[in-house]
Amino acid sequence: MATTQENPLLEGLPLAQTPEPCALVVFGASGDLTRRKIFPALYALALRRLLPQSFAVLGAARSEWSDDEFRGNMEAAVREFGRDEFRQEVWDGLAEATSYRALDFADDEAEDELTRYLEHVDEERGTEGNRVYYLAVPPAAMPTLVKELGKRRSAQGWTRLIIEKPFGHDQASARELNDLIWRHFTEEEVFRIDHYLGKETVQNMAALRFANGIFEPIWNRQFIDHVQITVAESIGIEGRADYYEKAGAIRDIFQNHMLQLVALTAMEPPSDFTADSVRNEKVKVLKSIHTPGPKHVVRGEYGRGYVEGIEVPGYREEPRVDPNSMTETYVAAKLFVDNWRWADTPFYVRTGKRLPRRETNIAIQFKRAPHPPFAEAAAEELRPNLLTIHVQPDEGVSLAIAAKVPGLGVKLRTVHMDFVYGGAFQVEMPEAYERLILDAMRGDATLFTRADEVDEQWAIIDAIVAAWKRDRPAFPNYAAGTWGPPSADDLLRRDGRSWRHH
Amino acid sequence: MTTAAHLEEWTGENVSLAEIEKAMAELRRESCEDTEGPDLRTSVMTHIAWVPPEWHKAAWATLEGMAERHPSRAIVLVPGAADEDDDLDALVQVAAFALPGERRHVAAEIVELRLGGRRARSPASLVMPLLISGLPVFCRWRGRLPFGERELEELTGIADRLVIDSREWEDPAADYTRLAEFFERVAVSDITWRRTLPWRVALAHDWPEVGRCTELAVDGPSADAHLLAGWLRSRLDRDLRLRVEPADEVEAVAVNGRELEKPPAEPLSSSTLLSAELETFGRDRVYEAAVTAARRE
Repeated sequence: MATTQENPLLEGLPLAQTPEPCALVVFGASGDLTRRKIFPALYALALRRLLPQSFAVLGAARSEWSDDEFRGNMEAAVREFGRDEFRQEVWDGLAEATSYRALDFADDEAEDELTRYLEHVDEERGTEGNRVYYLAVPPAAMPTLVKELGKRRSAQGWTRLIIEKPFGHDQASARELNDLIWRHFTEEEVFRIDHYLGKETVQNMAALRFANGIFEPIWNRQFIDHVQITVAESIGIEGRADYYEKAGAIRDIFQNHMLQLVALTAMEPPSDFTADSVRNEKVKVLKSIHTPGPKHVVRGEYGRGYVEGIEVPGYREEPRVDPNSMTETYVAAKLFVDNWRWADTPFYVRTGKRLPRRETNIAIQFKRAPHPPFAEAAAEELRPNLLTIHVQPDEGVSLAIAAKVPGLGVKLRTVHMDFVYGGAFQVEMPEAYERLILDAMRGDATLFTRADEVDEQWAIIDAIVAAWKRDRPAFPNYAAGTWGPPSADDLLRRDGRSWRHH
Repeated sequence: MTTAAHLEEWTGENVSLAEIEKAMAELRRESCEDTEGPDLRTSVMTHIAWVPPEWHKAAWATLEGMAERHPSRAIVLVPGAADEDDDLDALVQVAAFALPGERRHVAAEIVELRLGGRRARSPASLVMPLLISGLPVFCRWRGRLPFGERELEELTGIADRLVIDSREWEDPAADYTRLAEFFERVAVSDITWRRTLPWRVALAHDWPEVGRCTELAVDGPSADAHLLAGWLRSRLDRDLRLRVEPADEVEAVAVNGRELEKPPAEPLSSSTLLSAELETFGRDRVYEAAVTAARRE
């Protein structure tokens, strides 16, 4: 697409936002992510005419599918998982741009053939040698694929690499993978996905903090007592035992989503909203996170219990899980960010599976009013002000404040002022993957994780995991459908605080 | 369009604003009784609609499709004839809509005021007490703008954004010059401008050929045709002739006699079109330049 200087008609048109012509190559195209997220996102973008005019999408995986089989499977996926009404003409347009190649990533001949095919696509569909490679493959396949792609870079046009998590399994492996990537690609060409960053409410955190003059002056240790971040899931491991047994909650959620939420909550205002400014600030927070000592970290594993009235098996009873597994399905920690703004302000964070409900939120608890001029009895049920950012579900923000109960005398109660996203903006929110795929095509890396961020995240995780090697907790230690092990409550109780449970 | 989960209504003849405000508070209370907890009032604006009687039915059809998308306060002003009594009749509705995943509902309020006699000449004094404080005010003006008349001056004086549909005008080309005079006072949105978007995209895709355009032919409504021509003149910074073949919708556009491929149909309801304009804040300089150039021939 020409710039508005070259083509003055583009000024003000949504086209100015459309990416340049490109071919999107999805490796791991027969996997669940492609079906549940990638193709529904591509369809949503096609429906809104946000895909480039000259565009092609190529699925690549080991499954021996024909083009038509792949298109049929993806059509079914869009119908099942898409957020929009299915419109045949929109799908037909996307299907026409879609093809599939069965290949073994390690097979040189197959990779050469793929390269030739993409050159043919360039000629046929005008994609100009621009490539977005989406690596939705298991970690073991990643190095081979990166090497093969690096050897066969398109001679013309640009190349971008979208890499799904997990990015390594510790700091050493993440560094190794980064080193390998940098042998073939520049950091600017790498887009490491943490889909939490594509969520509207996570982005709204920046809007809330930096577009409102009232919050930033009190967003510090002087006014905030502590912060609680919860990423709770009510589901179990959903058949992903092979992955989860190796990852556990610490690598599945804590290393990426949780630390991103901490960073966004604690970071200093960036000078602008460009990729490097935002990521520089996040890295500073991650570097400042004080490595928590063993008594500040709690891990748990769920046993049998009840979720939504149904008895569910314990983790060790899940298919393909080691009956003596020591994999944690729950982690809670007390973190400190060692800087001027946050010194001595605890960030209590927790994530787990099979908790009572699915919710992700960030709760900022402010200090109590220093001297409420009311009789003690009047304010006995009064809680400190609490600002809660609901990431999912019921996306929005609520502020708990004290109000007088109507009537004679003074009696105070806590009430909530709510901003519900769906109430104020009656539009469907885009799925995180729509935003992220589009941003990668446009070359905007703001919502992707930079190498040094990943490195700092792993440094924190490695320190926690190293301490775990020294003891063997009695797992399972919490029942499915409860808020985690009792020791997680003790973590806060010791400080005279408690977890928010609603 | 979603049907309201429940709707409370009050009407009154020859009433005062105090009675209207009291009725609104009462309806909100009644609405809460039908819901678990209070209805959410997550307003993002006050939406004023100036609706002469001949536009009444169309305006309500649009409003009904809008309430759930913009759960704000809508104040519908229906001017009566000058020789009527100076009565103020009111209809107040509080409609509650379900929110996915929420027990509570979100409430939209509609206040329709029938302005008898002289009241229709000074609507601002009736509207101002009903504005939601601190939020932007959008004014949708149905039909042709009565340039120079007091009601228009008053309402554009309190609105942050004036929303029109120049297709509703008999001779849009003639009125665009007067419309341009408003641009320094209030941001203006034109629903017809939104309707031309697919054709503007198609013309942008015709670059660089379209850059040599000396004649534009449009089979479609006059307003659409003149806006497209004004847009090309202003963006390309060159004059061009416009030929218009009247039609209900834009059916064809040709540049120097060469017809462009018709963009995919984009059937948008009046509610959706208005809704899109209500999400826009600030001035649209590209539109303003197109209007200013629409008469340049």
